[in-house]
Amino acid sequence: MSLETEDAVKLRDTEDSVIRQPFTSRLGDAIKSQAMQIVLVWLAIVVIFSVLSPDAFLSVSNFRNIAISVSILAILGVGTTFIIVTGGIDLSMGSVLVFSGVVASMVMENVGTGQGWGVAILGIVAALASGLAWGLLNGFLVAKAKVPPMIVTLGTFGAALGLSQVLTGGIDLRASPDVLVDTVGFGSLFGVPSLVIIATTVVIIGIVLLNHTRFGLRTSAVGSNAEACRRVGINVDRQLIKVYAFAGLLAGLAGVLNLSFFRSTTIAGHSLTNLDVIAGVVIGGTSLFGGIGTVFGTLVGLFIPATLRNGFVILGVEPYWQQVVVGAFLVGAVYVDQTRRAANSRGTTKTSLYSRIFHRNRNTNRRES
Amino acid sequence: MRHNTTIKVASVAAAMAFTLAACSTSSETDAESTDSAASSSSAEAGSSTEDLSVAFIQGVIGDNFYISMECGVRAAAEDLGGIDVSVQGGQKWDPALQQPIVTSVMATNPDAILIAPNDISALQRPLEEAAEGSEIVLVDTTVEDPSFAVSEIASDNVGGGAAAFEAIKEMVPDGGQVLVIDNQPGISTSDARVQGFEEAVNADDSFEYVGVQYAKNEPAKAAEIVTSTLQRYPDLKAIFATNIFSAEGAATGIEQAGVAGEVQVVGFDAGPAQVEALEDGTVQALIAQQPYQIGYQGVEQAVAALKGEPTEAKIQTGFSIITKETLGTDEGQAALYASTC
Amino acid sequence: MTTPIYEARDISRSYGSVRALEGANFDVYPGEISALIGDNGAGKSTLVRILSGAEQPNGGQILFNGEPIQLETPTDARSRGIETVFQDLALANHLDPIQNMYLGRELMKPGVMGALGFMQRSAMKNEGKRAFSELGATVRNFSGPVGGMSGGQRQAIAVARAAAWASEVIFLDEPTAALGVVQTKGVMDLIRRIRDKGIAVVLISHSMPHVLDVADRVHVLRHGKRVAVMEAKHTNVEELVGAMTGALDGKEAA
Repeated sequence: MSLETEDAVKLRDTEDSVIRQPFTSRLGDAIKSQAMQIVLVWLAIVVIFSVLSPDAFLSVSNFRNIAISVSILAILGVGTTFIIVTGGIDLSMGSVLVFSGVVASMVMENVGTGQGWGVAILGIVAALASGLAWGLLNGFLVAKAKVPPMIVTLGTFGAALGLSQVLTGGIDLRASPDVLVDTVGFGSLFGVPSLVIIATTVVIIGIVLLNHTRFGLRTSAVGSNAEACRRVGINVDRQLIKVYAFAGLLAGLAGVLNLSFFRSTTIAGHSLTNLDVIAGVVIGGTSLFGGIGTVFGTLVGLFIPATLRNGFVILGVEPYWQQVVVGAFLVGAVYVDQTRRAANSRGTTKTSLYSRIFHRNRNTNRRES
Repeated sequence: MRHNTTIKVASVAAAMAFTLAACSTSSETDAESTDSAASSSSAEAGSSTEDLSVAFIQGVIGDNFYISMECGVRAAAEDLGGIDVSVQGGQKWDPALQQPIVTSVMATNPDAILIAPNDISALQRPLEEAAEGSEIVLVDTTVEDPSFAVSEIASDNVGGGAAAFEAIKEMVPDGGQVLVIDNQPGISTSDARVQGFEEAVNADDSFEYVGVQYAKNEPAKAAEIVTSTLQRYPDLKAIFATNIFSAEGAATGIEQAGVAGEVQVVGFDAGPAQVEALEDGTVQALIAQQPYQIGYQGVEQAVAALKGEPTEAKIQTGFSIITKETLGTDEGQAALYASTC
Repeated sequence: MTTPIYEARDISRSYGSVRALEGANFDVYPGEISALIGDNGAGKSTLVRILSGAEQPNGGQILFNGEPIQLETPTDARSRGIETVFQDLALANHLDPIQNMYLGRELMKPGVMGALGFMQRSAMKNEGKRAFSELGATVRNFSGPVGGMSGGQRQAIAVARAAAWASEVIFLDEPTAALGVVQTKGVMDLIRRIRDKGIAVVLISHSMPHVLDVADRVHVLRHGKRVAVMEAKHTNVEELVGAMTGALDGKEAA
């Protein structure tokens, strides 16, 4: 019953009831929300490991190390959240990270042997520019050439890594000024590692950008219904290019941090980073179908596997089993999320993944008809 | 390390059973505190090695080379007695995966860490930090500045190259032209193997060294190298292929050129793929490293350091030559890399 | 008689060999509900798409306030206060009603914050709520995703959104096709209130009773041409069906 004719009174009542909603009920809403749920899951994991291994697991230094290991992934995760919210996917970020590090390292090497900030800033700019360039390429191919994002970014995943190997002959570069290593890679402020501070800043920017800005609103809208966006005059192609460029820029930033922390371009590494980041984004409640997602959820979604891996190593669980459990967790988290969201979005008893898909198909058909 | 920063929660007693860190109080930095760690501090006394914990971080999990090394670690722990071993490793050769494993292992305060670092600079600082609380032994690979480590144990790769030439000399006693197919330049271990091979060939007048070519992990490239080299050096008698892809490609090239049986291929390492290549005649000999020895001696060095006994800063392990004939013998079987312990 | 606010003269449009419109005429006055009816394939949808700027005609003239205009894109139409609600509603299901209302026309903060892309979220919420209530569209939940709402709610949101932005003309394509009785009544009332604001409403519908109930004039399309224009209060279902099928002779008014 959407419309009522003579109900100014009723309308006011409705509004009042929203305002007067008791605090407990609002708290209930907060707990129901996806991000809070996975925070609780994470806390449960922390409690379990704390009980099983209080000495080793529950220490400030251990949590500091977990946070450091999440930092670079979190920066990639912010960009990937935006991309997945548009209904796209990014497989290229690990290679773009490596490529950006390679370019930064080459630039810094050729400027001279300086170890100061001047050289470092040139390197940072080079890395950001490289990341941005790959992001723009991804965005252009997705938006203008209409190549599916998975194929585009699978291609640039290989291309960025291949070009890194061409530029270096496959040998890791290690040019990274001391200032960068000491202040960014291993520095800290009031006991908080620089990497964690930088990642936190990027995550906060991501949260604000997605929730408070036109860019964020249009990102969600494009993922929700691109045709509706076109109808209201939004340039969907340009929005997509912007989103991929933003993610590329962040991959460039991650490249700088990677170079500062590992003091190596880690060409052989980061081949699984894309899957780790996408897993985090999805565990965090961002829908792979687009339209909805949270940056905070992504952060927690990245913390869960990192905490599991850390705890398993501490408990001495065999490495193979760690993969099994983390993998099972990913599938389980997405399944629970899907069923819950299907129930929420229709307010009915249709809770299965099947009906979720069915609904999507029906919507799509209607849109096309 | 970082003793006293841990925060205890409830039900410590129940959790103790699971806690690897229970023995961490015996690590040398904590040796002064003797009250609750009375039993474990006996390690300090040097009479036995009870209740020591050793963490072994592999270069990558599921690799036969590191499985053999793990077998050596476990055997040494058994022989020396009272050593608790835990094994970890990344699913890929990736410093970004290995670094969090190192910090997680650090949290358990093991007495010693044996590690095959994935990168010479990426693991430098994390391991320096780990060395504050644990004895570090670098196995197989190393880092830029390994001065924090008790010992570095790895194959004598120069010697490995020389061993490959020895194998060729056995098979081709009359001498001739020899070629090396390497993966790519700039990898310290394989560069050393090539160097050792070169030195050995140049010291022998009956052999002519025609140089090193790079196949970059592509068998097709290796095959092309062999066929074109045969055009120029028809007297080519033997090839030293530094990895399995080069060896497979070399065999294909020999086949293509129609000189099967006339040109011998010596491969490196003795994992299942290499052994299969030896069995079906793709290669005629294998130069096997001794990962079991590396692991075994790694534990010995770690324990010596914990006891305050002298340690060797650098240990180079040897090689075994395996041919089709020796493959069946006990000795040959022992030289192969293990799939399980 | 006053000038029609929006008028189509002799519009033709072909898709390959298929001729969807062959010299169709159409006109609507401010504060009037004009219904557009016709059998499937009569050219209703094509005419609406042309008049909302989504497609260009092959020939003919479009007059806005008596002046000939060219519509290159839907934005050209919207900038003149002409809004269209298509059958698919074009709502972003994951966004809430307010976000949907302001999508593409976000209220930005003044100054630097606005330049950085920050929106006036509270202003949009208040203005949006006011716009919905002005039309009597009761939206239960202003902060929930519209994808989770009933068909009637979604229809009301889409219509109210268009009405909030339409200062001159609003096209509604089959707004009641998927609705139940009560919901349909709600949408009909909403359409009347939009008309009462002085906006010209064009209603495309298959439902003769609904058309006769709410419309002032009824335009009948057949084979790409307008064949009849009737005063709703002086006609009936039989006559309309006759005009649609060609059983009766229509009164061409243009």
